[in-house]
Amino acid sequence: MSKPSTLNADNISVKFGGLVAVDDVSFDIPAGGVISLIGPNGAGKTTFFNVLTGLYKPTSGTVTFDGNDITAKPPHKIAQAGVARTFQNIRLFGLMTAEENVMVAMHSHLKSGVLSTILGTRKQRAEEAESKKIARELLEFVGIGGTADKFARNLSYGDQRRLEVARALALQPKVLLLDEPTAGMNPQESKVFVDFVYRVRDEKNLGILLIEHDMSVVMKVSERITVLDRGQKIAEGTPAEIKSDKRVIEAYLGKSAESGK
Amino acid sequence: MASARFSSRVVFERSAATFIILLVSIWLGVNLVKSPSQFFQSSVIGISNGVLYALIALGYTLVYGIIELINFAHGDLFMIGGLFAATFIAVWFGQESPSTVGYVVFFACLIAVMGFCATINVAIERFAYRRLRRAPKLAPLITAVGVSFILQFIGIRWNGSGPKSWNSVLPDGEFIISGVHIAYTTIFSFAVTIPILALMTYIVTKTRRGKAMRATAQDADAARLMGINVNKTIAFTFALGGALAGAAGLLFQQTRELTNYNLGYQLGLIAFTSAVLGGIGNLSGAVLGAILIGLVQGLNDGLPIGLGQQWSQTVVFSILILLMTFRPTGLLGKPMVEKV
Amino acid sequence: MAKKLKLSLPRIRKGKTAKKAVTGFDQAKWIRGFSIAAISIWVFYSFVIDLLPYEVASIFQKWMPATTVNEALVWVICALGLNIVVGYAGLLDLGFVAFWAIGGYVAGWLMSDFFQQVSIHVGSTAPAEQRGIHISFWGVLIIGGLVAAVFGVIIGAPTLRLKSDYLALVTLGFGEIIPQIFYNGENIGGFNLTNGSKGIAPVDNIGLFGKTLGPFDLDWKYLIFVSLTALMVFISLRIRSGRLGRAWLAIREDELAASMMGVPLMRSKLAAYAIGAVSGGVGGVAFATHVNGVFADRFSFSISIILLAMVVLGGMGNVWGVIVGALTIAWVNATGLPAIGDTVNSLLGTKINFPSYNFLLFGGILIFMMLYKREGMLPESRLKELMHETDDETSNTGKHV
Repeated sequence: MSKPSTLNADNISVKFGGLVAVDDVSFDIPAGGVISLIGPNGAGKTTFFNVLTGLYKPTSGTVTFDGNDITAKPPHKIAQAGVARTFQNIRLFGLMTAEENVMVAMHSHLKSGVLSTILGTRKQRAEEAESKKIARELLEFVGIGGTADKFARNLSYGDQRRLEVARALALQPKVLLLDEPTAGMNPQESKVFVDFVYRVRDEKNLGILLIEHDMSVVMKVSERITVLDRGQKIAEGTPAEIKSDKRVIEAYLGKSAESGK
Repeated sequence: MASARFSSRVVFERSAATFIILLVSIWLGVNLVKSPSQFFQSSVIGISNGVLYALIALGYTLVYGIIELINFAHGDLFMIGGLFAATFIAVWFGQESPSTVGYVVFFACLIAVMGFCATINVAIERFAYRRLRRAPKLAPLITAVGVSFILQFIGIRWNGSGPKSWNSVLPDGEFIISGVHIAYTTIFSFAVTIPILALMTYIVTKTRRGKAMRATAQDADAARLMGINVNKTIAFTFALGGALAGAAGLLFQQTRELTNYNLGYQLGLIAFTSAVLGGIGNLSGAVLGAILIGLVQGLNDGLPIGLGQQWSQTVVFSILILLMTFRPTGLLGKPMVEKV
Repeated sequence: MAKKLKLSLPRIRKGKTAKKAVTGFDQAKWIRGFSIAAISIWVFYSFVIDLLPYEVASIFQKWMPATTVNEALVWVICALGLNIVVGYAGLLDLGFVAFWAIGGYVAGWLMSDFFQQVSIHVGSTAPAEQRGIHISFWGVLIIGGLVAAVFGVIIGAPTLRLKSDYLALVTLGFGEIIPQIFYNGENIGGFNLTNGSKGIAPVDNIGLFGKTLGPFDLDWKYLIFVSLTALMVFISLRIRSGRLGRAWLAIREDELAASMMGVPLMRSKLAAYAIGAVSGGVGGVAFATHVNGVFADRFSFSISIILLAMVVLGGMGNVWGVIVGALTIAWVNATGLPAIGDTVNSLLGTKINFPSYNFLLFGGILIFMMLYKREGMLPESRLKELMHETDDETSNTGKHV
């Protein structure tokens, strides 16, 4: 039943001086699966994400991708290997157009050197044209095809979120990490987003890891859920199992709470 | 294990640092043995410079600590302080030689120049930097460079395009202790600087304003939520830094008997290197770093086995570059982690 | 020389008119304008000015002498280099004068009698019996650019992990150290490397189609300098439209996000330093032929700042803006201030020393531009967006932590 794993995190701990942000957390993201990572604020979710994408080096533990140890690799190498992410606070290149934003992420797939760029060789021009085409296709895929020539900072919030995903997809990743993708969305937009996640998973055949706070989205979209609280993994399982897990309810609502939604 | 890879860079940095310290110690040792009196003489000169740098370095580190801006214009403020001092003491009050009146005027000037430079610094912050607090870092940096040039322009207008020499109210003589000359002015510098540093420490650690400064330096938004008036606090920081620069300017003008419009640029960079050496944002670090840099410079300039004064700038800037490359947090600073 | 300009035109135009919608900036228009202006100026100074009556000609001599035009072009070439580092990649280099100096000394070493120990002649205009290294100007341009590029990498390397303020300081440090080495270089372990404060002069004449061009062949020199400028513009625009240019813009905005999108930070930044440095080195070589030598005391920190003011005034990242900004400031510095000063003083009977106001001018430009017109006087429209949105407290792109 379990699919082969793409991304494995083993015994990851992250300590900043005396503060333990992540405490011995392990889990796997299977190829083509959707996993959610939830937990109260400050549980260490984004820190964990940052470890997976090479932004932080863990104090101990390893991250393996497709069998390769990527723990100490620099972020751009991890991105090139196929781990893409979006950001909790949108970090688009505001001054570049939507199309250019996507094309930036294709950097590692392009081959033209400086000299051929300067000379404008036929190969380089063809490559540029091709990447433009792919960029526009990706923009269409996420639903903002008409904004290709707009500056990213002029896009609406929802479009910006989609652009972030398009940009991440341009890396041709095997695993997509989405950091609170529905933050700021109303229920309708969230529903659209859920369908979108399914589409991404199915059409692009990726593993997807979400950090989410919106429980309705989490319950709908996830195949498995991992729960962090204060840096530790306190539960892991299917949505049904998590919904009724006492420790999870306690973590979110405090010890005196009854079973939650 | 990840941690093993993780620390290889640290190992490299540590061994590079150790190697450099070893080399420097050998250089010092050889010179000490070769001519001890020259060694101590250069050290004395170096430390007395260092004390001056400390006053300037504190200004840099205070401002950087609170708004993460390298105030390029800070050194030039020191230069302006020197011009003010010269004008105040020699031109307005006509004091050009040691006398009781002279000393009184000196101390009056100390108060005046500190107030003068504090005011200028607060004005600069208010009109040039405040609007750019949330702008991309490039903007306030470039603005600071612009302010530096404006101050130098004022220096040229005030003092001419070349150096001017003056007669100081400080006594001329010196002590001679086993071949080492210690000028009275050096003792005087210490006598003025140390109380100022002590006062500064008191202000920063014990007063409410000082605490507000440290809180804002740690986390401006949290400080605001605690009811601290961040604008006023920043202005206060600039005032402190300006006052220190002014005091340094007065001391320099009276002990070296020299003013020149480009002194700020020269000494400013040295003082900034000191602040970085000590750990930018760290006050005791700034003083420590300044003394060390002063020593290194003095020894380099004065020792038989040294590169000599013409290479002085190169030596200091090389230290700066090495620091930034291998240990940007300096001796006493703490490493910063970027939050995503 | 005019031929070279024509060759480059169609290529850029094809790509750039399509880009108008994107950048809001009509590249083709600017290229045409630049070419027309360049050719007109050449025609004017070579032919027309001799035909004008003395009074009119001397007005031009006073307000726009040919030497100023040529010197201004050297500034433009260097400013274009700085534009790549600061304007495209967002790396605040405050020591760019180092590359100018390096270019100058490469010219001094390879185009003069300085190295009496050897006698090497490669395509040079110098007579064969002269000792020293004498390589053709065109070769020295290339060598100077390459040497500068190497130093660009050396200077850039320590800055790669640093935040923008520390980066500025390191580059400033190098901008002080390198000229100081040249200034003190009379005795490096007993060897006279740079002739110290005396500098190296004269340098060989430029050889072009069988002519030899000395320091007074201003009109030919002009064509050469304009062509070098055009070359740098071409290179800048071409790289900007490719993946490295996009990488630079991304790094300028948010280098963390850029690296997470697969952009190799170190390599890209070093490329910016190296390519920018090439322009500085080329400018330095050209300048050495302009003043017929290389002189150590000319390479001061203020040059780095003036170049920065040029880039800032013109709009960071905007090639045409930088050209206009550089020409303007270079003119003001070399001719404008003294000429205006003379005029005002003779009109009003005053004795104001106008040239001494240049510090006020440069400082004022930097402050004014940062406070009110951060996008430059000729904004690249994308920059207009960036430089003002960040005053909004809720924004998060562009704030560097």
